[in-house]
Amino acid sequence: MGGTPFGKALGQSPGRDRIRRGQGQLEAQVLAALHRAPGPVAAAWVQDRLGDGLAYTTVMTILSRLHTKGAVTRERAGRAYVWTPAADEAGLAALRMRRVLDGEPDRDAVLTSFVSALSAHDEQLLRSLLDRVEDGADGEDAEDAAPGPGAGPDHPSDEARGG
Amino acid sequence: MGVFVFLPLVLPLCTLPIARLAEQHLHPRVTTRLLTLLAAVLGLCSTLCLGLLVVVGTAQLPGNPLPDSWSDPEVRSAVPHAEIAGTAAILALAAALTAVGSTLRRDRRIRARTHGALDVLPAGADPAVLPDDDPYAYAVPGTPARPGRPARPGRIAVSRGMLRSLDGDERRALFAHERAHLHCRHHRYLLAVRLAGCVNPLLLPLRSAVAFSTERWADEEAARAVGDRRLTARAVGKAALIARPAPYPGLAQFAAPEPGPVPRRVAALLGPVPSARSWPPALTPAGLAALVAAAGTAASALSSLNAAVALFLVLKAATPL
Repeated sequence: MGGTPFGKALGQSPGRDRIRRGQGQLEAQVLAALHRAPGPVAAAWVQDRLGDGLAYTTVMTILSRLHTKGAVTRERAGRAYVWTPAADEAGLAALRMRRVLDGEPDRDAVLTSFVSALSAHDEQLLRSLLDRVEDGADGEDAEDAAPGPGAGPDHPSDEARGG
Repeated sequence: MGVFVFLPLVLPLCTLPIARLAEQHLHPRVTTRLLTLLAAVLGLCSTLCLGLLVVVGTAQLPGNPLPDSWSDPEVRSAVPHAEIAGTAAILALAAALTAVGSTLRRDRRIRARTHGALDVLPAGADPAVLPDDDPYAYAVPGTPARPGRPARPGRIAVSRGMLRSLDGDERRALFAHERAHLHCRHHRYLLAVRLAGCVNPLLLPLRSAVAFSTERWADEEAARAVGDRRLTARAVGKAALIARPAPYPGLAQFAAPEPGPVPRRVAALLGPVPSARSWPPALTPAGLAALVAAAGTAASALSSLNAAVALFLVLKAATPL
């Protein structure tokens, strides 16, 4: 999924397996660590903070991936980079979701969307239906004062059916 | 078996009027189940008959591994135009299997990618609210357990852009709608109908029919959960208006003046609660549709069975023991 040229260039064999297995979780952990950082920090700081025996190159790979996605920013400090988070976990999820949505034109067959696209004609029709909902709601408020069973839904339905 | 072997290949044509009538007169839950069952049975029968034709067709090919006697005149005479039909069936079955394979692969890939994208959020975060200005809301079906990875339950992914445009009650309707998709496993119906469309293109119209009826079904569940049909209608309508416009606005002008799915859903929600009877009375259009559906399916099943048995007997007679 995230086999960017950038990541490939930096990725090294000890970390590769791990990245492939839990890429999402690792990215989230790195981002979380950066969020707890007092300011821009070096990759070694992130590595220390994560512990867990992660190789330096692995941390670098993940940081580079996050950078490609725009989830972190970096600047040079001496010979190395220091890193700052640009997005939190939710932001990272949104970025990745965006890539899925843009990359899978046929996704609606799998992911059921709340609404589908409207044509110009549909839009007009929908606006007039919604106007009726608003009108109906006003009418219903009046009826609420003296509630009559079944009286509410009947009134707008006849008109709506005609549409 | 004669012409009966071709019947299941064209009987799916009878689903067109059925899909239409069912949508207008039956509860969306019943419609979804009826149309999916119809698609599955007709798709299976049509594939079975295609398979029979492939056996006859393959037996004609030089160097095929089937017994030589299977290309005898008696076998060939069992199928009208055996040469042409056999060759066409080989191609059609290959195309159908390829389409089924790629549909299944795509289904698995999109689910895995979406879950991968949402994995960075804690598992308890449901609905997953994503900071994105683009308004969208998706029900992401769960994935089964695989070696090295536990099963992932279905999730709801909503963008902040979508939530921003809805008020609190409308959001409840939206979540109830998406939860209904997951809870009623609409994804399975949709996949079954898509696979049916792969094996027989005449079943393709059922895709959009079932896609629509699952949306209606989820709408009805949402309306029941929030206890207000009009509120649900408003949520659907508002969400559609802020969501991205149709990709080809120019074409929409020339399209038939038939209302699209969203206005039909809103209109249906503003109408009365659909009757939840599982089988409509016989003397109404819906009852008639259900009867035609049952008759067409039975005819398809019987003819493919008939063809299968006939071919089996012919081949058995032709096989030297």
